[in-house]
Amino acid sequence: MLFNSLTFVVFFIIVLLLHNAPFSWRIKKTNLLIGSYIFYAAWNPPFVILLWLSTVVDWFVANKLYLETRQARRRMLLFVSILVNLGMLSYFKYGGFILENFQALMASIGIDYRAPDWNIVLQVGISFYTFQTMAYSLDVYLKRAAPAKSFLDFALFVTFFPQLVAGPIVRPTQLIPQFKLPKVATRQQLTWGFALITLGLFNKIVIADGLLSQAAEKVFGASEMLHPLDAWLGTLAFAGQIFCDFAGYSTTAIGVALCLGFSLPDNFRFPYAAVGFSDFWRRWHISLSSWLRDYLYIPLGGNRKGNLRTYANLMTTMMLGGLWHGASWTFVVWGALHGGFLALERWLAKHFGGGTFWKRWGPRFVLALITYFLVNITWVFFRAQDFATAWRMIDTMLTFNMDGKKVLPMIDVLLVTGVTVVMLAIHWFMRNRYLHDVAAATPRWLLAGAWGLMLWLIIISQGQSSAFIYFQF
Amino acid sequence: MSGSKAEPVFERPVPVLGRSAMVALIVTAILMVAWESWVRSEGVTPAYRNSDGQWTEQRRRINNGAGDGWVFTGSSRALFNMQLSIWERLDNRRPLQLALEGTAPVKVMESLADDDNFTGKLLVGVAPGLFFSGYEYRRSALDRYPQESPTQWFGHKVSVLFEPYLAFYNYDFAFPTILRRQPLPARDGVVVDLDVRKLSNMERDRNTRLWDKLVYDEEYRELAKKIWAQNWTPLAELPPPVQEKLLESRQKQLDRATAATRKLQAKGAEVIFVQMPYEGHYAVSEIDIAPRDLTWDVLLEQTGALGLHFQDHEEMQGYYLPEWSHMTAEDADRFTEAFYGLVQRELAAHEAVGGNP
Repeated sequence: MLFNSLTFVVFFIIVLLLHNAPFSWRIKKTNLLIGSYIFYAAWNPPFVILLWLSTVVDWFVANKLYLETRQARRRMLLFVSILVNLGMLSYFKYGGFILENFQALMASIGIDYRAPDWNIVLQVGISFYTFQTMAYSLDVYLKRAAPAKSFLDFALFVTFFPQLVAGPIVRPTQLIPQFKLPKVATRQQLTWGFALITLGLFNKIVIADGLLSQAAEKVFGASEMLHPLDAWLGTLAFAGQIFCDFAGYSTTAIGVALCLGFSLPDNFRFPYAAVGFSDFWRRWHISLSSWLRDYLYIPLGGNRKGNLRTYANLMTTMMLGGLWHGASWTFVVWGALHGGFLALERWLAKHFGGGTFWKRWGPRFVLALITYFLVNITWVFFRAQDFATAWRMIDTMLTFNMDGKKVLPMIDVLLVTGVTVVMLAIHWFMRNRYLHDVAAATPRWLLAGAWGLMLWLIIISQGQSSAFIYFQF
Repeated sequence: MSGSKAEPVFERPVPVLGRSAMVALIVTAILMVAWESWVRSEGVTPAYRNSDGQWTEQRRRINNGAGDGWVFTGSSRALFNMQLSIWERLDNRRPLQLALEGTAPVKVMESLADDDNFTGKLLVGVAPGLFFSGYEYRRSALDRYPQESPTQWFGHKVSVLFEPYLAFYNYDFAFPTILRRQPLPARDGVVVDLDVRKLSNMERDRNTRLWDKLVYDEEYRELAKKIWAQNWTPLAELPPPVQEKLLESRQKQLDRATAATRKLQAKGAEVIFVQMPYEGHYAVSEIDIAPRDLTWDVLLEQTGALGLHFQDHEEMQGYYLPEWSHMTAEDADRFTEAFYGLVQRELAAHEAVGGNP
């Protein structure tokens, strides 16, 4: 079910009541586990079976791995975990993509191969929970941690509903220990949890869906060359939309977990104030970028095997990260651009990064604007449904061809410009601050007023329970 | 995870907010009361939302024993003009209302044709510009029925608990919708389509009546007319590829409707097509996009079904259509009563000459 739905409101009230009822900790955890399965099954009940499969396989693999000393057997066990998780992911998410590309490859060598129709429904959140369970087996394999002692704790770790379908991708070491001892939110946690839920839903319902989505849809849905202003506004709209949508989900998830007494890690830290791409990836989808760093980039050799290899590792990691987002070459190009920018930044920093000049406010602000500009260029490939649209957009955005068609009415021009300016100002102000510190330092009347206003705007926006963008990944 | 190698368990820092939550709730409550009051001052009264869930719920009733009675489908004219209570009084059974505004009903016909649970009588409203173009403004409702998730089903059940008490809980008064209709200078070269405004009030089973604001508020009525006529171009003046596409759609819709009707007739279901009154801009545009002799007459000839056109029957004439397309609530009552008698009479006559092919 969606956070921005009436079903979730009722569900969460029941979960909260049960969690605060005088039951034993084991019963409360069981309630949370059952609740999490209901949360997931509310989309499509049979999908729960695959969640169980992933849970059971990784539970047994990790336990065997922990006791096994023979390296060959350990590798085989890890292979089973990766095969099951990536196999499910490949089948449901990449099956059609693989077949399409295979067909194209055959055609290129003159073989007329017709792939069967691939009408498989993509499971919500499969990319998230498969990565989460794989991290568990990988941690045990790499001897970073011992397996969980309780199957209930492990099953709850895999299924914990606040972050099940769109993250943050939580590490076993971050969440499983929290299930050991009874947890009920304190009054302060509950209050802050609800504040975060309000902020998250405000981002999603009011900003992403209410103010920005239409401009992005109009621009990326156009089939002709657009006026550069429209192309830029559509891209800026999408940049704001995807941030508010995804960060909105993460903030809501963190708030929901906190209302139950659990702490989930941050997934976003005001990324549009990033100075450079390495800074961007420390602020955008942090749980994915750190997962890719720890389980892909570092095992590939990271930056320990020379410059060339480092650049290659960066590119590989980011291209696979792009593919993780969706079964399309446009996502791969998006990842490749990020990998390329990361590599370029590394090279520039090595050759020109010395001295104090780049540490001054002015140059850093300019670098932040350049980063934001380049991030927007990458978003074009992320959002465009095909390369033709992406190239058309890039062409008009960079050549300022004024002959293109205008599609955005004045209201979208004002909304996108206004939201973008305010969002960038907030990100820059919050760059080195934490939300909880700012909230604590804000006068109570102002905080309460802003909170009440956001809640009111959420209600009167009457969101259509539209799915979060990252659910499709 | 256990073991000493695990990193320290993260605990989220939490600020002390005191009574902020309570004050925030009070602020929200005050703003909500003000907002609800403003919406009511605009003449809005609480009503059920014309949601996809509402349509799906009614569609599902066919699988729960209502499939052998009358079912109405079509576009907004069938939705606003056919009054279920009047029909129920005359027929002793309440029909199902499955019409969807701005939407060609052919997909509904196909769905009912494939559904063994439907064996009753289907009244299909034909708004020529929609029916023969295949435009489906409410496609999301049509898609929802076969794939409604448990969470959507439950969400609808919760929503209908609030709908009859809150005037603001209405698509036309959603905050982004209001923002988007603010009068702003137009950008050169950008064609702006004004969204259709609130036109009706819906009851629990989708019985729908025209909003009386269209009767008493001349400015609002004129706005509605302006929206119907905006950006209209005669078929002959459209670019050739667009003309070609529209003509293709017309043929496709005819073929689909014919196939669905034959399938319905083959299982004993009755299909009656009806064109309800329109005037003003529609008297020009409907005929322009779908001339009667090339569409309506062909449809009836191909299907052998009974067709009732408002131009052919006195019982379907003389009603007040404030914005050229839909009857006032009172006239819809009168129309339904007169139309019921006409349908019974024409059905009997149709059957007397052989009925369905």
